[in-house]
Amino acid sequence: MSASAPAVRADLMDPATLAALGRLEVVSRWLVDGLLAGLHRSPKKGFSVEFAEHRQYQPGDDLRFMDWKVVARADRWLIKQFEEETNVRATIVLDVSRSMAWRGAPGRLTKLDYAERLAAALALLLLRQRDAVGLIRFDDGIRSVVPPRSGQSQFGKMLAAFDDAGAGQGSDLAGALAQAGKLIARRGMVILISDLLLEPEEIRDTVQGLRGQGHDVTCLHVLDPAERRFEVASGEATFVDPERGTESIATPADVRDLYASTVGDALAEWRDHFASAGAFYEPILTDQPFGVPLRRAFARRQRLG
Amino acid sequence: MTFLAPWGWGLAAAIAVPLVLHLWRRRAQARVEFPAVRYLLRMEREHAREVQVQNLLLMLLRCAIIVVLAAAIARPVARAPGIGHAPTAVAIVLDNSLSAQAAGPEGPVLARLAAAARGVVGAATAADRLWVVTMDGVVVGGDRPTLDAALAAVRPLDGAGDAGDAVRRAAALVRGSGLPSGRVVVLTDAQATSWGAIDPSALGGAAADLAVVTPGAIVNRAVTAVAAEPLHWDPRGAVRATVVAPDSASWRVVVDGRTLARGTALPGATILARAQLTGTGWQAGVVELAPDELRGDDRRHFAVHVGEPPAVQVASGAGPFLAGAVGALVAGGRARVGGGITVATMDQARRPGLLFAPSDPIRVADANRALERAGIPWRLGARRTGAAPLTGEGVAGAMAREWYALESATAAGDAAARRDTVATVGGAPWAVAGDGYVLVASPATDEATDLPVRAAFVPWIDRLVSQRLVDGSTGVSTAVPGAMVRVPAGVDGLELASGPVRPVAAEEAISAPWAAGVAFWRRGATRVGALVVNAEPSESDTGRVTVDTLATRLGARTVDAAPDGLGRAVFAAGGARSWSRALLILALLLLASEWLVAGRGFGRRTPVER
Repeated sequence: MSASAPAVRADLMDPATLAALGRLEVVSRWLVDGLLAGLHRSPKKGFSVEFAEHRQYQPGDDLRFMDWKVVARADRWLIKQFEEETNVRATIVLDVSRSMAWRGAPGRLTKLDYAERLAAALALLLLRQRDAVGLIRFDDGIRSVVPPRSGQSQFGKMLAAFDDAGAGQGSDLAGALAQAGKLIARRGMVILISDLLLEPEEIRDTVQGLRGQGHDVTCLHVLDPAERRFEVASGEATFVDPERGTESIATPADVRDLYASTVGDALAEWRDHFASAGAFYEPILTDQPFGVPLRRAFARRQRLG
Repeated sequence: MTFLAPWGWGLAAAIAVPLVLHLWRRRAQARVEFPAVRYLLRMEREHAREVQVQNLLLMLLRCAIIVVLAAAIARPVARAPGIGHAPTAVAIVLDNSLSAQAAGPEGPVLARLAAAARGVVGAATAADRLWVVTMDGVVVGGDRPTLDAALAAVRPLDGAGDAGDAVRRAAALVRGSGLPSGRVVVLTDAQATSWGAIDPSALGGAAADLAVVTPGAIVNRAVTAVAAEPLHWDPRGAVRATVVAPDSASWRVVVDGRTLARGTALPGATILARAQLTGTGWQAGVVELAPDELRGDDRRHFAVHVGEPPAVQVASGAGPFLAGAVGALVAGGRARVGGGITVATMDQARRPGLLFAPSDPIRVADANRALERAGIPWRLGARRTGAAPLTGEGVAGAMAREWYALESATAAGDAAARRDTVATVGGAPWAVAGDGYVLVASPATDEATDLPVRAAFVPWIDRLVSQRLVDGSTGVSTAVPGAMVRVPAGVDGLELASGPVRPVAAEEAISAPWAAGVAFWRRGATRVGALVVNAEPSESDTGRVTVDTLATRLGARTVDAAPDGLGRAVFAAGGARSWSRALLILALLLLASEWLVAGRGFGRRTPVER
């Protein structure tokens, strides 16, 4: 981490605060450095087969790597770490549709800002693993494609792709996922970052197709807290979907609990949908520190060996 | 149910707000970008009925909150059925004046009034506060046994009492009770002479009920006036009495238990009974009629002094008019010649003495020195001339043309002058009396005053001698029951009609006994005068004001005097509860319900984070 880096671990900071401290590239490096510092290992260490060392358990770690003998003997919660041996080809599929450019409160990042920083950090983390990483940005069409590569220059290409146009009206997620499958020639990893404002049936076949090709699919479902709990600073109003133009009249204070219950049902359906396809699904709120989703996604990659 | 602030209902118009909001709900103007509208639509789709019911319930709750708040602001007052009345302060004004002794076919008025009062006491609860106030100003408060005992002990007065004072006391008790509800209950026979001029402000805003009990048509005969003539008997004298009766009435005169005379009086006739007494000193007498429906005014008391005629000597130089007057009294048996009372000019002052100003102004200084030597606290001042009328008992119509200013030599000054003045000229004392002396500011000459040449002169001298100068006599004081009277000079006790002697101080104001009769002023063990207490003659007037007139004058509500009904009526009116607090609590509950329905979701699943 550079001299101007935050004094605390970047992966545990408030996302909006962290984003205000530096450019996307810098923030990504802080995040990766912070995450790796928390893991107490070199970039080349992972959860492979050859034991390297122990480190303290962190929330989000895969319990399969917990050293239960040490736990039983010394009452210390330690995770076993192994020397990295294999490389993975990963493609990050990033939703840049108009709905992503929204935030529920002025002090928060938009869903897109959050997702871009998360994607950049994840890409850098994988690149440091010497994995090959690619990027697909999509809205109602494919906006940017960076084929998966490893190496120092790849991260720069990906950063440049973040500056491409986007935020169209809709989300063609099925097309983007299909494109991702084509970009990865052999078994690899597809990481989808989206607000999933669509019906699960629209991408069911695509996800199952990817799984059929042997790809690991991880979905990071980005939500603004206001979308999760309908915490909108408004009285009775007409709420308008910026992508589809649909409307609904509601008084947030009157229907907040009912709405939260409905969203809870929808999230459960998404979880079931991805689980039935053998994919990993994680809802993320944009006021959460980046460390949590990064750790979950990284742990998922480590399972691939 | 009544409303103390009915304008509060105007706020109920605000009910239009939630109604309009509900009916125009679909016309909301504010538009907010919200990507997750699909979840809102799904919520409406899946919970459409629940949302509709919730909206309707919210509208009804919000309307109910406004209506209940408006009702609370309107301050409704009503009885709470089944839970009794609110704590109430009740002061019962019980008319026990003389007229309440009247007995009709349904019994004595006072007994019926007391029964009505017991009805009120019986309807009270432990949380109530009750008092009974009678016409003599006596207040009894306490629990039910105490009040029942007080009502059983109430006796009719021998006079009118003071209705206005009783009402004012009752109102003050109610106002000072600290209870939220209070009423004054006036129980009376509505006698016109007692209540006809009642001060409308006596209640001072206190709520009141009026129940009237009348004896019906009764025949009343009354002795309205009586006097011993003269006051000093030797031992002969006469009793003169006035009887008011619609027909002939039997009468008798009784002194110290002995009937002196009896007879039958025609309607409107004056009784004159001549009699001769045995014994000496002050004696009590009564003129009484045969009993009728109103017993209290069938008797009237008087006092008489019995003894030898006073010994009087006329000093040389007193003048021919005084000598002639005393000679007339001696000739008439009203006085005897002897060394008792001196009739003289002031320069020869001694006590007891009837003393006139000297005719020669040069003797004024001698007169003042003689007055000082005799211990008489008056001095002659500046000489006045000019015709001026005299005022006072026995001198009315006479004129003074020459007199001296009478100046008090005591610190009491003007107060003493007003108290001891027998007659005045031009508003200033002309004749004053005290312990063993009577001073007259003019010389006893026809140039100084025309009184000596008037027919009233000799009776006036007779009255002064017999009532002011006889062996320390203080004369007769008269009063109505309970009135304030001044204790005469030289008196240290009051021998009550019932026997005991009550210590008193000379010159102090005391309350006359409430029982009619004759009490005697005493100096040591000696009776030196009498206090005659009789009812006001107006108490014999049985005319009444109508119930409505009296109720209007008092600002009271009329109620029936039947004991059971009266108790219910008093506490039904005075015991109404205010419902404002209950309505405010209800509004809070409705508000909490609205919050639950709106914020928490009525009958809704608790959301689970996933």
